[in-house]
Amino acid sequence: MGTLTIAPFSSLVGSKSMDFALKLAKAAADKGHKVNIWLTSNGVMIVKSNQKHLKDYSHAEKYVKELLDKGVEICVCEACALARGIQKSEAIEGIKWDAMHWYLAKIYNSDRVLHIGGE
Amino acid sequence: MSMIDLAFIIQRPPYKSESSTLGLTHAISYQVVDMFLDEGQGVVPKVCFIGEGVLNCLSGQKAMEHYGVTSIEAHIKNALLVDLDIFVCKEDLERFSIGEDRLVDAEDMGADKKLQVVPLSQIQSIINNCKHLFVF
Amino acid sequence: MRLGIFISDYKGLTDTVDRLSAEKLGFIFVQNGVYHTTVKENGKSSSLLDRNANFYVLEEDLAMRGLTGADVDSRVKVVNYGDVVDLIFNDYEKLVWL
Repeated sequence: MGTLTIAPFSSLVGSKSMDFALKLAKAAADKGHKVNIWLTSNGVMIVKSNQKHLKDYSHAEKYVKELLDKGVEICVCEACALARGIQKSEAIEGIKWDAMHWYLAKIYNSDRVLHIGGE
Repeated sequence: MSMIDLAFIIQRPPYKSESSTLGLTHAISYQVVDMFLDEGQGVVPKVCFIGEGVLNCLSGQKAMEHYGVTSIEAHIKNALLVDLDIFVCKEDLERFSIGEDRLVDAEDMGADKKLQVVPLSQIQSIINNCKHLFVF
Repeated sequence: MRLGIFISDYKGLTDTVDRLSAEKLGFIFVQNGVYHTTVKENGKSSSLLDRNANFYVLEEDLAMRGLTGADVDSRVKVVNYGDVVDLIFNDYEKLVWL
């Protein structure tokens, strides 16, 4: 089994790149691979808890919790989150908060990296 | 000692998106990556500007004055100051009629490194030889 | 180098694609990139499909857009998320998202 690190930079609402990243992470974890997710730029939006699932919008909270339960490591860029007014106290439990060097360190130990840039 | 090369490919023009800035800031963060790694381990980012991405490298950017944000020029200078190798595609500079005298330089800040204008073939070698690549 | 390129859009990506080369190249079409595998603009298939590469398209992203495998160019293999994971680990050592 290998290690895959995925870094989606897109917001959840307004793009389907985040949905792709979460689905790919689940598929990889289901096959027994170790998966890391680095959230930065508008990708940090998915860490907020109490997301309301409205049918016109993508929804991440349920999937994020499932991924955490499967052992997927998820880390959010603290500066990117704070710049968008997202506080650690309102984030989904289990998500790590750190800085860009966390991502580079995970890359160091990854077999594959998929960096999904923002729009 | 085990170091790996990472290629940061910046292909978007500046400012409309956050992309170029993030490419540079992620690369610069290599300085403290050893906090999470074992002794002797590390990453060596190589930043390459290609396509419309070469437009990031023009000097005289006034992003702070007009929009209150750090300019990409300042990020490039910081990257040079921390000894990152930064490559700019020669063919793309020619395509956009940008002379090398228009490019960012961090000599005034005491940087030893300069932007390296190189043929695309050299950037392709960097991509071939890196362990992972990231397109911004 | 074995390079897997995720194509997530239909327009505006060839500039960068043209600058990437690899001994083994694979294109994985996702999101609006799937139209490269189905649309014949002015009767002509996407020029990406003329490259010396392997081609894959994500079934879920076809279905979302009202398309099926029957709409897909014969050079392209239809895959699901699990298949994409296998491609990532078994076929391509470096990955790019465009």
